[in-house]
Amino acid sequence: MDELVIAGKKFSSRLFIGTGKFASNEIMAKAIEASGTQIVTVALRRVDIDNPQDEFLAAIDRDKYLLLPNTSGARDAAEAMRLARLARAATGINWLKLEVTPDPYYLLPDPVETLKAAEGLIKEGFVVLPYINADPILAKRLEDIGTATVMPLASPIGSNQGLKARASLEIIISQSNVPVVVDAGLGLPSHAADAMEMGADAVLVNTAIATAAEPVKMAIAFKQAVEAGRLAYNAGAPARSRTAQPSSPLTGFLTDR
Amino acid sequence: MNTLKINGAEKEFADGKLPATVSQLLGLLDINQAAVVAELDGQIIERKDFETTGLKAGQSIEIIRFVGGG
Repeated sequence: MDELVIAGKKFSSRLFIGTGKFASNEIMAKAIEASGTQIVTVALRRVDIDNPQDEFLAAIDRDKYLLLPNTSGARDAAEAMRLARLARAATGINWLKLEVTPDPYYLLPDPVETLKAAEGLIKEGFVVLPYINADPILAKRLEDIGTATVMPLASPIGSNQGLKARASLEIIISQSNVPVVVDAGLGLPSHAADAMEMGADAVLVNTAIATAAEPVKMAIAFKQAVEAGRLAYNAGAPARSRTAQPSSPLTGFLTDR
Repeated sequence: MNTLKINGAEKEFADGKLPATVSQLLGLLDINQAAVVAELDGQIIERKDFETTGLKAGQSIEIIRFVGGG
């Protein structure tokens, strides 16, 4: 079995699903099911006191899917750590997608605050999966302090731009001793397959599925793309060449040459 | 004043009507206790402690739940 292992826990699926932006909890639940995922991310927000009924969490079967709370909305390490503790109190789970995004326009993660929060949270016993820019040095620093994965972005969150950070992602993948989960910006199944062919250990997809005209179909497409990309990676990519390399024999032609 | 700050907004209660515990406040607001976590004056209150954690006028409480997110 080609399993993904994160912090000693084994997963057969290499596709994480984000739960934001779905038109309804019902569509979300169906897309999650269709994707074959085993890890779903969620966010923490204030209850709307005027409209307190919400069945969001009930729509996710927690026996089947590991809930991975994120710290979205945190602008610095202190805010991220507060959200992390609340998430742990709410779920009893110590797994956390750490994200610190002070810049509201590109939602790029703050490397200094992310490293600081990761250090503190690891000391408090959290399993930390940090969302980072595609920075190979930062990825190493995080691995060194004990994060369970690194989650570098492909391009800005929700932008659907695909693997804009390709060159840096390749370096991170080649150097990492913890699983590399390519997160953010994957807009099409081909982007996900590409990341997996490069050797990413997993990918996280939210917007591309949630905002597709038919999210359940798109979830299936991403599932197949991730599986195909992983299979291709394991199969070993053939060499590239600048010129043509004939597939058919260059002998025995039916003409005199 | 019988006020509590709930998720950033001041809420006033009539004399003697201030909820005595976190659990009572959630009931009053019609919030499903199983789905939330609370923070009272910056201290996290776990679900198992909702019934035993008392409330006093002037306190600030955050009631937080999970929503969709990536």
